[in-house]
Amino acid sequence: MYSVKEPDHGTPARQGEATVTVTIDGHAVTVPPGTSVMRAASLAGVQVPKLCATDTLEAFGSCRLCLVEIEGRRGYPASCTTTVAPGMKVRTQTPKLAQLRRGVMELYISDHPLDCLTCTANGNCELQEQAGVVGLREVRYQGGATHTDAAKDTSNPYFVFDPAKCIVCSRCVRACEDLQGTFALTVLGRGFDSVISPGKTAFLSSECVSCGACVQACPTATLTEKSLVAHGQPDHVVKTTCAYCGVGCSFRAELKGDQVVRMVPDKDGGANHGHSCVKGRFAWGYATHADRITTPMIRRSIHDPWQVVTWDEAIAHAAAEIRRIQATYGRDAVGGITSSRCTNEETYLVQKLVRAAFGTNNVDTCARVCHSPTGYGLKQTLGESAGTQDFDSVDDADCVVVIGANPTDAHPVFASHLKQRLRQGAKLIVIDPRVIDLVRGPHVEAAYHLQLRPGTNVAVINALAHVIVTEGLAKEDFVRARCEGPAYETWKAFISDPRHAPEAMEAHTGVPAAAIRGAARLYASVPNGAIYYGLGVTEHSQGSTMVMGIANLAMVTGNLGRRGVGVNPLRGQNNVQGSCDMGSFPHELPGYRHVSDPAVRALFDAAWGVTVQPEPGLRIPNMFDAAVDGSFKALYVQGEDVAQSDPDTQHVARALESLECLIVQDLFLNETAKYAHVFLPGASFLEKDGTFTNAERRINRVRKVMEPKAGKADWEATCALAAALGYPMHYDHPSQIMDEIARLTPTFTGVSYAKLDRLGSLQWPCNDAAPDGTPTMHVDRFVRGQGRFMLTEYVPTDERTTRKFPLLLTTGRILTQYNVGAQTRRTDNVAWHAEDRLEIHPADAELRGIADGATVELESRVGKTVLRAHVTERIQPGVVYTTFHHPGSGANVVTTDNSDWATNCPEYKVTAVQVRPATQPSEWQARFHAQAAEQLGLLPRGREEA
Amino acid sequence: MTRVYVPRDAAARSVGADAVARALAADPRVQLVRNGSRGLLWLEPMIEVETAAGRVAYGPVAAADVPALLAAGLLDGGDHPLRLGLTEALPYLARQTRLTFARCGVIDPLDLDAYRAHGGMRGLAAAIALAPAEVVAQVTRSGLRGRGGAAFPAGVKWQTVLDTPAPQKYVVCNADEGDSGTFSDRMLMEGDPFVLIEGMIIAGLAVGATRGFIYLRSEYPDAARTLGEAIARAAAAGYLGDDVAGSGRAFHLELRIGAGSYVCGEETALLESLEGKRGVVRPRPPVPAVAGLLGAPTIVNNVGTLASVPVILDRGADAYAALGVGRSRGTIAFQLGGNVARGGLVEAPPGLTVRELVHDFGGGTASGRPVRAVQVGGPLGAYLPASALDVALDYEALAARGALLGHGGVVVFDDTVDMAKMARFALEFCAIESCGKCTPCRIGARRGVELVDQLVKSKRPADEAAVLRELCDTMTHASLCALGGMTAYPVESALRHFPEDFGL
Amino acid sequence: MDARKLVKMANDIARFFEAEPDRAAAVAGVAGHLQRFWEPRMRKALLAHVEATGGADLRPLTLDAVQALRG
Repeated sequence: MYSVKEPDHGTPARQGEATVTVTIDGHAVTVPPGTSVMRAASLAGVQVPKLCATDTLEAFGSCRLCLVEIEGRRGYPASCTTTVAPGMKVRTQTPKLAQLRRGVMELYISDHPLDCLTCTANGNCELQEQAGVVGLREVRYQGGATHTDAAKDTSNPYFVFDPAKCIVCSRCVRACEDLQGTFALTVLGRGFDSVISPGKTAFLSSECVSCGACVQACPTATLTEKSLVAHGQPDHVVKTTCAYCGVGCSFRAELKGDQVVRMVPDKDGGANHGHSCVKGRFAWGYATHADRITTPMIRRSIHDPWQVVTWDEAIAHAAAEIRRIQATYGRDAVGGITSSRCTNEETYLVQKLVRAAFGTNNVDTCARVCHSPTGYGLKQTLGESAGTQDFDSVDDADCVVVIGANPTDAHPVFASHLKQRLRQGAKLIVIDPRVIDLVRGPHVEAAYHLQLRPGTNVAVINALAHVIVTEGLAKEDFVRARCEGPAYETWKAFISDPRHAPEAMEAHTGVPAAAIRGAARLYASVPNGAIYYGLGVTEHSQGSTMVMGIANLAMVTGNLGRRGVGVNPLRGQNNVQGSCDMGSFPHELPGYRHVSDPAVRALFDAAWGVTVQPEPGLRIPNMFDAAVDGSFKALYVQGEDVAQSDPDTQHVARALESLECLIVQDLFLNETAKYAHVFLPGASFLEKDGTFTNAERRINRVRKVMEPKAGKADWEATCALAAALGYPMHYDHPSQIMDEIARLTPTFTGVSYAKLDRLGSLQWPCNDAAPDGTPTMHVDRFVRGQGRFMLTEYVPTDERTTRKFPLLLTTGRILTQYNVGAQTRRTDNVAWHAEDRLEIHPADAELRGIADGATVELESRVGKTVLRAHVTERIQPGVVYTTFHHPGSGANVVTTDNSDWATNCPEYKVTAVQVRPATQPSEWQARFHAQAAEQLGLLPRGREEA
Repeated sequence: MTRVYVPRDAAARSVGADAVARALAADPRVQLVRNGSRGLLWLEPMIEVETAAGRVAYGPVAAADVPALLAAGLLDGGDHPLRLGLTEALPYLARQTRLTFARCGVIDPLDLDAYRAHGGMRGLAAAIALAPAEVVAQVTRSGLRGRGGAAFPAGVKWQTVLDTPAPQKYVVCNADEGDSGTFSDRMLMEGDPFVLIEGMIIAGLAVGATRGFIYLRSEYPDAARTLGEAIARAAAAGYLGDDVAGSGRAFHLELRIGAGSYVCGEETALLESLEGKRGVVRPRPPVPAVAGLLGAPTIVNNVGTLASVPVILDRGADAYAALGVGRSRGTIAFQLGGNVARGGLVEAPPGLTVRELVHDFGGGTASGRPVRAVQVGGPLGAYLPASALDVALDYEALAARGALLGHGGVVVFDDTVDMAKMARFALEFCAIESCGKCTPCRIGARRGVELVDQLVKSKRPADEAAVLRELCDTMTHASLCALGGMTAYPVESALRHFPEDFGL
Repeated sequence: MDARKLVKMANDIARFFEAEPDRAAAVAGVAGHLQRFWEPRMRKALLAHVEATGGADLRPLTLDAVQALRG
């Protein structure tokens, strides 16, 4: 429950019109059918005592405190489980009810410790509060059995489980089942011996994913955040948005002064509706970690010690270097990288800085290496570089196709929402080389798991489309009404060719033709089919082709333009959508408008008072190539760690070493900063105002809860740099930056901080045509007018297995760690994932004499690294898998420079490798560790990373 | 060859029926039939010989008695100290009205031909000929009420399921007979499983449910074997499947075994368990007839209820309703046990008195001492004092006495019983069997046990008794289901009728 | 810029547009892509490579697109 109180109506709201009028203690109230008596009472201003009821969970009826009397009915029905009926007359306070409630409360308290004054929940305990409400004055049961000596479980790094205080209301169990869908908690034993248990083990070793839903649901101090134990009850709340992943959960930062006591998910959050995951809920401690660098630093060469300087000195030095380099090597020898972890306003400012103050279009963003094919592919087919739905749309989906995404790990809060729908009966198709958790989990099982060979996505999507078209499953009416006719006819002829048949593709994909046919029929035959996809789609040499193939499939089945359907990219970082929207790509100004368009340039020329260049700039990999080539010499990187996250680490290192001025702005001395000449300390999401845009195009407010540790928010640093370059930008507050964005961007015209504060969040397009935003896109027509089918020939990647490299490596992430791990590695999340491991199938492991946990060498044509093996059948034979959360694991030492043909998005998902037993770190790792030691030694006052 | 019947019922087997059967089978003249039990449990193993005059009963027979019996002309109904006479003429049986149990103990329970020869499947044939709503109307008109304990009118429940539109509906048989001192469901499932199957098929056809489940308690392995085989045979004969007896309508039936929880006899906990979840009680509404198994409209009826349906359809609702008194119609299978001379199953129309049952059928206590208390309706039924034995065994008459008929179990105690211990037992039973969901039952039952322990040692027992009575009130009115809600019956009745046992 | 890399990138683009049955549209597709997404020094380097080597390592469609860009 929240420390700073919010109304809790006891049971969830029911949809529909308020048509049922009931009288509660003489107060008439009209509510939708299906509403509980308890909720109706609460809406009428009458609070019925309760303990097991909370409005995030369906009624359970176990505490028996909420009994009421209803005219014409026998007994004392529970108001939480009794629904309203027209004309019902309810009494919530009678002498008999008072006696029964005291009787029940007396039983509760007879098995509860009486240490209220020293209890963590003191002042915020529902049991304490309700005991007061029912007027319990005496406990006459003495000397009986109790659970008050039950041992605490402190194994979870973030919360304590103290069963001595448990009232067995099952709110935690229900939250785990109904909200999170993990089913980690259960009630063991029966009767008086009923106890909550994470499955006869400690929390840390259980199935628990530490989402915090149980802690949130607990009405007592049984499940309590350790931060609350340490700091006591918070006194005020600031609503903000999580800075992890593209789900964009709304949170209430509960504070004492500027001390964050806890982060609790906001029930009003449009993306998360009160749910959270282990990262957003608990892993925010990095913001105050000792590793934070809070002073600007400069140095002449990357082997020199860092010098602490003032902001003015650092900014002046950086500006001078950029101007010097431009004077020497030309205007286009410099560039910038915006961050998908920073706010919209900050990314907008960085691209503005590059285009207006640097005078070049050499700006790019980390979306380059994740979702750039989404931008390209959806723009080509549908006309807008964004997902088509809101998350709630999944509630209406009858068949969900998950392609190359692992939502339970990477987008956990959406995954929980999806699993709720799957438990209601929606069918699931998973297209993934790995057996991800969704394939088979508690009460969820995929109807089809198309376990394809990495790199054959397009073959699979074409085969699915082939089945739909040749078996007459196409929705011709939709296509005729909504799509370009000639392009469809060409595509239909193309896709009908027998070379795309599942049988013909089976040898490439490894997926049985019958499974493809079954999956195609399922997706095409349900009323609403929805596709969700992730980086397993985009990070391929044919990433853009695959995105277009997905759009083709949705169009041909009519699965666009309403709730329950759509094409939904699951964005990796918190503001990938926003950083792309804000004009971070070198060829596009804000709102995805090409720099070659004179009318668009004229608009920005006028607003910015400069001449925007008409040619596209360098993309990130092109910047590296140009740097190695000697024509690119200075780079401003805000909030990204390209040295760890980008492929072919050794090539990236060579590029960074070639720069004469690398300006890194970050919270920590990250891998990239080890090559930097100027370090500008960054501000965490807790230290600034702004907005993030999540995967459903939802613009959420980020609100400052503490002053920037280094004295400047990131947007202020960017402004300072611009000013030093002779291009002053005048903003007193990020809201003014958003006002400028709204003025210049047709899809953002209606966005303002005032409206965001009023509505909570907004999904763009938000303009005169849609003043409150657009949850579902392409409703009556596609953004580009008519949908366009694209020809998606399957072109096998050049990255093929050979005798030397007989296995395919694919990479991904894990629940508890985030991206390069800069944040999560500095939290207790390392309790779950302290190192990256290489997943390998038992058959491949045995062949190589590799045991689970053994040290192995992973080698590709570009590099070698050494890590430990995890032998598992989650991965298919011939394929290995690892994560890239720890820099020393060197996953990207192995990945290659292959990339998507259209966008240069790297092909992280397919690398031919060999695996063999090893006894010592690779040469790269030896150099890595030496460099890390050297760079830490160059920090002022001998400060070192923990 | 002479047909000799040796029961295969678990109660008979537990006292040596299998050894008797083996001994008899060794004689080449014997054609052995393993029938169900007639329910005269003090006579088990009770064997019967088919003679020209009718079936002659002998019992209780031990394997060692067999040579002497054969020598005495057993196969011709010859005389012997164990000879009981013609089975049908035994007063214990002759005074009963066997409708639901008409074939139990008479036929080989798995012999479908014998089942049909004795009137089986006629109810189904009648039901197939009627419109579904008319079948429901017949059940309603018969006055049949739930025999599991709650006594809810079966027809009303069926009508609700019939009237709730849904793509899938279910019929669930509650065969989790958990009340101590009860055994009628077991006896029927072991002795005449087809009548239950027939009743479930009729229920399915009546409400449009195409799937049925029997939820059987794990403590009944014999019944599980018999039911499993009976279901297979009924399916093979075309009574189960996509086309029930040529009707063109489907009914599939599956047997599911519970896991040893008393509360899973509570219908919503049973449904949870059937769904593979922890067996805890669901709040109502919605009632299972609207949202039951997997959220679908579901008939949940006890074995005795469903097994009474075929005879109602066969002989007509009015014939059934003609029996009984007031709103208690038809017949009820009373199960007589405890400290009683002649324990067994007595099927009779409601209305006979406890005294008739205990003394006329039961022959008084087994110990020969005076009857002090009779508990009617299972472990959570009220205790009747010896002075109250003239109460009629019908739902309303018992309710007027603060008692319940429940599942029809009647347990007799002589004058050596300590009623404080019995009150404690009821609370302890509740504490052990509570699902743990609702607080009054979860904590209250345990506190009740502790209170009784303190009370009997107390210098001021009236104080503890006052708290105990208040606890009983809280449990009665605030518990989620009947387990906690009924625990007060034995406790309060013991306190009321036998205060001296509590030192009051 | 590394010519081999640029050639591979350009050929990758061509391999997508080779599915287009209308040759002129395919050429325009590749050329348009290079125009809209490649920074000028990359295009210049590719053109220089073709100039210097004749572009034997270019797919025919790539070569046609490069010629179109040049024209």
